[in-house]
Amino acid sequence: MSNKDFKLMAHLLRRAGFGATPDELDGYVAAGYEATVENLLNPGDPGNLADDLIKRYHVDMSELRQLDSAASYWMYRIVTTNNPLEEKMALFWHGLFATGYSKLTQARSHLNQIDMFRRLGMGNFGNLLIELSRDPAMIFWLDNQDNHKDAINENYGRELLELFSMGIGNYSEEDVKEAARAFTGWTLGNAEYMSMRATKDSIWPYGRIAWHFDYRANDHDEGGKKFLGESGNFTGEDIVGIICKNPATPAFICTRLFQFFTADNVDDEGEKVISQMTQAYFESGFEIKAVLRKLFNSSYFKSEAARFARVKGPVELVAGAIRLACSYQTTSLGIIQAAHQSNFMGQGLLQPPTVEGWHEGEEWIDSGALVERINFVALEVGDVEKSGIRSIIDRLAGLEDGKLTPSTVVERCLEMLGHLSVSDITKKALTDHVAIGGNIDLSNHQVGDKQEQRVGELLSLITASREYQLA
Amino acid sequence: MTISLAYSKTIGVVNNGFNGRGFANPYDLSISRDERIFVLNRCDPARFTAIRVGICNLDEEYLGEFGKGFGTGDENFGLPSAMAFDHQDNLHITDEYLNRITVWDSQGNFVRKWGNPGNGDGELNGPSGITFDGEGNSYVSDQNNNRVQKFSSDGEMILQWGTFGQNPGQFNLPWRITLDFSGNVYVADWRNDRVQKFSGDGEYLATIGKSGTGDGELNRPSDVAVDKDGNVYISDWGNQRVQVFDRNGCFILKLRGEATLSQWALDFFDANPDEDETRNNAALIPNLPERLRNPDDESSQTEPYFWGPVAVTIDQEGRLYVTEHNRHRFQIYCRV
Repeated sequence: MSNKDFKLMAHLLRRAGFGATPDELDGYVAAGYEATVENLLNPGDPGNLADDLIKRYHVDMSELRQLDSAASYWMYRIVTTNNPLEEKMALFWHGLFATGYSKLTQARSHLNQIDMFRRLGMGNFGNLLIELSRDPAMIFWLDNQDNHKDAINENYGRELLELFSMGIGNYSEEDVKEAARAFTGWTLGNAEYMSMRATKDSIWPYGRIAWHFDYRANDHDEGGKKFLGESGNFTGEDIVGIICKNPATPAFICTRLFQFFTADNVDDEGEKVISQMTQAYFESGFEIKAVLRKLFNSSYFKSEAARFARVKGPVELVAGAIRLACSYQTTSLGIIQAAHQSNFMGQGLLQPPTVEGWHEGEEWIDSGALVERINFVALEVGDVEKSGIRSIIDRLAGLEDGKLTPSTVVERCLEMLGHLSVSDITKKALTDHVAIGGNIDLSNHQVGDKQEQRVGELLSLITASREYQLA
Repeated sequence: MTISLAYSKTIGVVNNGFNGRGFANPYDLSISRDERIFVLNRCDPARFTAIRVGICNLDEEYLGEFGKGFGTGDENFGLPSAMAFDHQDNLHITDEYLNRITVWDSQGNFVRKWGNPGNGDGELNGPSGITFDGEGNSYVSDQNNNRVQKFSSDGEMILQWGTFGQNPGQFNLPWRITLDFSGNVYVADWRNDRVQKFSGDGEYLATIGKSGTGDGELNRPSDVAVDKDGNVYISDWGNQRVQVFDRNGCFILKLRGEATLSQWALDFFDANPDEDETRNNAALIPNLPERLRNPDDESSQTEPYFWGPVAVTIDQEGRLYVTEHNRHRFQIYCRV
């Protein structure tokens, strides 16, 4: 296993997950690249921090009435799961099918939507769109409970085409209306009462009542419809079927997946990969898993050019630091701060700013967000008592009898933070800083002693670099 | 022995504001000698002022509250978990975050605190249950130390038993603890899905329940109470129900909850007739899709059902109080 293998695997795990600890990376590299891709695509038991433990300790996460409780609950899952791609895909669909708490005021139903992304997010795209159309949070978010056969509400029909599947320019206004007609009668159970409670943000008398889907046959428009050149008495399921087989759909979805996993900007070579992903979409019968497999195994994705070509999103950044430090592996009141942090950096879980989701890429970084990003990560990786950082120190102590020159310790720390590539200037600055204190001697290190603190300081400095902000 | 329980009434309404009637994720309920009902509001640190004890009575009068919210001061709470009155009518409240027990008189005045964190003799790690015998000795379920400790009325550790494990006499994160009228000790052995019965000296006597969802089976039981006839009431927290067993541990009946509107809830709807009108046209016990037919989802969608039935309490008249942390209320059942 060469250093090249580790660099490639670290790249895969930054994109298809939230980074990897040195121990995890060893395991992935031993398994091999293609096998790791398959493991990521076919998740087993997530092994995350158990629900019963969370709900006993955090009663608010049992009820899931409050936004901060729900965001923290999801953060626990992200930072403790063994299925990082499953969570990454939930995050992807959360950004694409962006549903915001501000209108819902229904955190539990919101999280049920996230769980649906977990269950179906790498499966058949048609099934995903049908479940999305039945999802109570989405129904309320886009007012489909107000979409009646005698008075249609176009909101969901429009966004389904524009933002969720095909993209603007590939359908007509008439198609929007006909789609809306097909989804009449798709509503919430007790829609009138639930709408009133949500609109008034009423928690009385006994807290929230979670939502479920209800189909009202007597409110469904069974008349003939014309949609994207086809005619029939279409239902919502029929509309999704027609959308899925339209070439504009995989072009749109595959581009978004490419940007999320590979590069913020799509170049000519990237277009070729998207074309291959589209082909995989049709050949597999609309399976997202096949599309992702094509992407992750593509030469483009694996190339040097694709590495560090994306700005880490706030959730990626926060979760990556937490997972590296192995924080929050048991219940802790501090988890709420972790969830708050990604919000302070511009990406609050369950809080996309609009139905368009977040503007990603370089827009994640501004002067305020950068300070938040650096401070949070530096505190996580600089804490030498955290088990993930102790593991890094123990690895360093096992090298060269624990007596490390500044350049060696910088090289090894860059590796253990994900085989980071940094500029010569950055590397020199890091090395010069360590050299002020001379060699680092971990031969008789004790928890929290001066030599360990120097390692923690170096890790913090590395994460403050420009390069660490990139995935 | 066969018993029947009839639903009587519901008391409570959600309130995680600064003060006033209502509850915020109530976690335990104790009744004073003068029959006032003390409700421990666990809530969460983000809504710190709502972590307090509320007092009401069976006539649904809200009588007051005490405690100064989240914090480390004497009158603050971290994660309060359980409470019980001692033989002098002082209320002892366990705190699994601060690893201590605070003592309050029945008027809500702070008296003292006891307990220190650790795993040594008499030390506490996540105390989650407490009960008293007639002599003022306390039994504390020491959650993260997986043991029960018995203390004298002056706080001296007299006895302890239990280690982590699944065998008789071992525990996996025990929650609440209670005594029957003969002085036997019952422990909700939470993550072993059972209740264990011991003599007052810690000798293992019996196990009630096993993992599962069927009658007589348990999923993360949180609390246990025993009536004068020796019947055992268990809050089957993970199955969102209460089960009753006879003195021999045989299943008798189960309750799923049937809450109606409390007086405080009726007052809310009087002031909000628009919500009342739409509510009257809603199906409060909905026919749910297949995927949601599990206890937690059913309870989250079905307002009358127990949701988070965390504590069971029996009063002098034999009434059963079931405290629900996710519905901010308690339901009362009477023997018939």
